Amino acid sequence: MNVSIVPALKALIPAALVVAVVLLGLVVGFWANAAFYPGTSPEQPIAFSHKIHAGENEIPCMYCHTQARRSISAGVPSVSKCMGCHNEVATQRPQIRKLKNYWENKEPIPWIKVHDLPDFVHFTHKRHIAAGIECQTCHGPVETMDQIRLTDAAPMEMGLCLNCHKQKEVANGLDCWTCHK
Amino acid sequence: MPNIDRRDFIKLVGAGSVGVGAGFMLRETIKHPTEQLIPHVIAPEDFSTGIATWYNTVCSMCAAGCGISVRTREGRAKKIEGNPSHPVSQGRLCALGQAGLQVLYNPDRLTGPLMQTGQRGSGSFAQVTWQEGLDKVADRLELLTAENQGNRIGLLSQGVRGHLAQLFELFADQLGSERLLHYDFDHPHTLYAANHRFFGEARLPYYDLKNTRYLLSFGADYLGNWISPVHHSLGFGHSRQGRSDVRGRFVQIEPRMSMSGAAADEWISAKPGTEGILALGLAHRIVSEGHYSGVDRDDWTTALSGYTTDQVAEQTGVGADTIRRIADTFVHTEPSLAIGGGSAANHSNGVDTLVAVNALNYLVANIGKPGGLVFNPEPAGPASQDRQASYRTMLELAEDAKQGNIEILILNGTNPVFSLPSAGFEEALAEIPLIVSLSSFMDETTALADIILPSHTYLESWGDDFPEPGVGFSIGSVSQPVVSPLYNTRATGDIVLQLAKQAGLSDAIPWSSMKDFIKDGWRLIYDRGGLDTQKESFESFWRSILKAGVWGEKTHRDPAFTLDKRVINSIAVPPPEFSGSSDAYPFILHPYVSTTLHDGHAANLPWMQELPDPMTSVVYGSWVEINPATAGQMNLKEGDLVDIESPHGQIRAPVYVYPAIMPGVIAMPIGQGHVTYGRYANRGVNPIEILSPRVDQRTGALASSATRVKIKATGRRIELVKTGGNSRELGREIVQTTGGKASQGHSAKLNSIPITVVPT
Repeated sequence: MNVSIVPALKALIPAALVVAVVLLGLVVGFWANAAFYPGTSPEQPIAFSHKIHAGENEIPCMYCHTQARRSISAGVPSVSKCMGCHNEVATQRPQIRKLKNYWENKEPIPWIKVHDLPDFVHFTHKRHIAAGIECQTCHGPVETMDQIRLTDAAPMEMGLCLNCHKQKEVANGLDCWTCHK
Repeated sequence: MPNIDRRDFIKLVGAGSVGVGAGFMLRETIKHPTEQLIPHVIAPEDFSTGIATWYNTVCSMCAAGCGISVRTREGRAKKIEGNPSHPVSQGRLCALGQAGLQVLYNPDRLTGPLMQTGQRGSGSFAQVTWQEGLDKVADRLELLTAENQGNRIGLLSQGVRGHLAQLFELFADQLGSERLLHYDFDHPHTLYAANHRFFGEARLPYYDLKNTRYLLSFGADYLGNWISPVHHSLGFGHSRQGRSDVRGRFVQIEPRMSMSGAAADEWISAKPGTEGILALGLAHRIVSEGHYSGVDRDDWTTALSGYTTDQVAEQTGVGADTIRRIADTFVHTEPSLAIGGGSAANHSNGVDTLVAVNALNYLVANIGKPGGLVFNPEPAGPASQDRQASYRTMLELAEDAKQGNIEILILNGTNPVFSLPSAGFEEALAEIPLIVSLSSFMDETTALADIILPSHTYLESWGDDFPEPGVGFSIGSVSQPVVSPLYNTRATGDIVLQLAKQAGLSDAIPWSSMKDFIKDGWRLIYDRGGLDTQKESFESFWRSILKAGVWGEKTHRDPAFTLDKRVINSIAVPPPEFSGSSDAYPFILHPYVSTTLHDGHAANLPWMQELPDPMTSVVYGSWVEINPATAGQMNLKEGDLVDIESPHGQIRAPVYVYPAIMPGVIAMPIGQGHVTYGRYANRGVNPIEILSPRVDQRTGALASSATRVKIKATGRRIELVKTGGNSRELGREIVQTTGGKASQGHSAKLNSIPITVVPT
């Protein structure tokens, strides 16, 4: 007598189908999130355009991010700094009115962080600026962006750090403790 | 393709949806969380993200007045260090000073004005606005002042100096109140009084530990918490290791080995309360051996005739040989210095003891000399008034309150309910219609207040300080806020100024903020400063003080000093008196101010709670130190809970068997035993509760070491939390010490001391 497992397997087909559909859905869902909600370019409270400021008007990065060359963090300009120009410049545009609103209410602008490193990474702007690294190396071509975003070329991931450290033969640049301390 | 019926189709759609949803959420959870970047509205000048800013200010954790530098980042205080330019701390700081951050960030801080809603002591408070709180107090103040009843207003502060002290003076004066008192448990009343008696001024001289070669310390735990421990530690370090030609030696005389005792070359335990007699014994030896040749030699001979070496040896329990040897070393080593404090000063004969210690300094003529005792010039700031309340004064205050003579009591940072034994202070407070507290924390006294107007911590307020004792020349420092206020609190000075304004006293007290008041005061110092100072403008002078954290002037006092003959003739130390009969209460209780928690005000700081006591290594809680011989007789072991009973009360604590305490004496640290002082302070017992109300005869200061107790085993035991393992060396050769005989011989030279391992 032939013993076949086919009938038993056949009985499992409906269940297998359900599992397959769930897995497929998982992939689709994951992809959909990545494609439509990447979170790498959140909408900001004011649609500030780096393209206009750094690109078209060629304002140097460190005109606003003044701390970059002397501190671990680059610093976000204070509202008063924005108003320094926008008291006069483009005062009637809707986004500038928003800015003025914040200023008049003496409230800070709650920007959303785009370029961020986890707390276990010790990064300092000062050293990188001193080494002559362009801002764009890590931050991407921000002068072309209307809305700031992470780019594939500069994804703020460890590979970017290591590649550069390797290329430039940074002393102890590949040592774990150089960044993770 | 299998047949899919309607049911299966629905199942598959469901499964698909679940899958998509799960996939979506999976990525959502592993996504980098959204963070915000909040910029300043207006960037402050002295603030750069990611860069630390250091501010120089003054430590207020004890009365020493060390200069500190506080590291701040992004507007938050991160670390406190000693200010290297400040002559008191010279870049160093003690553990308590470091723990100042935990005062600032303490989760038990009062965050806004409160009003008692239930019965006093019920702990039910309601939040009120500053205006409501201030109005209620100011209205009453105004009413009493208008009716010339100002003396019915009491002001009870912790010890304050500089312009805050002056503001309280002005305030009390304008209110018409004479009841302005400072109260600190560990204020050295007897030392002030002894100096007044001997030197004619109730001030502290500068004890030049740094340059001395032989130091006799009568009970003063000067490395732990006596007067200015950071500065003394610096001096001690220099005395020991800072000079190439000599290693300073020192002898500590106390019944229970303190941290200073452990650092001494020689530790001597005289019977409690006989330290002064020992000092006079040494003086007698010096004079009778002809080592003193002053014009008043005969007076001294007569005055000291009752203190022959043998008599003193008998009374103090210190061997006659030891007395002779120490006296001879003291007089032959130049310069030498004697200091007194701690338990030696806290007996019924405290002032006499310290006068006797001063006499030793006089007899070796070290007054005004390097390595001796140097008079401090008058403080450059507002003249200080002696407002410190002794125990007796506090009893009078309590009595006044009970008589109904006090209508309002304003408390500032002092906690007498915790630190005043057997005074009935709590009952007295019940008779006061309105109690106002300016404390930053809830504590045992503040819990009884009707209105709490919480103060900033010292790291958030303006202030200034003229350290007492100074460092032999005139110094002062301005303390500035290093962070913006964390909560809805106000600076003590600003509260007082506001109360004064609302009570209609602004003619005499016109300043709108403490900062203005201090600045005006410093203008006087600037004006007095002479041409050198006035080369720069006042603003630049002021900024330079804020930047440096200290101002100094090399004005030294004339060291000339003539001793009044009457002082010599009256010199005598009566035997100490104790409360309780020695039959019923066989032990003398030696309560010592905790090295970590001080008089208890540091008990709410977790860092200080978890800092092991330097001598016993015990962390948290209370303990009672008992000599191994005594413990053996009573069959007590470490951790055994015992009841300690005095004629005035009973507390329970675990035993710590401590070899460095005299038999017949038991010791307990003061500082624990809080009830309402926040979540961290709620442990241990308070030995102040069982102290007898005996006082020093001359000052009325509490004789806190004059209580007799008995101990009774309860049969229960707990595990003491401590970091120390075995207190014995057990042949591990880890603690190498100098051999017993060699180190005691006064002829021993640094290079000739044989290093041996003491077998234990």
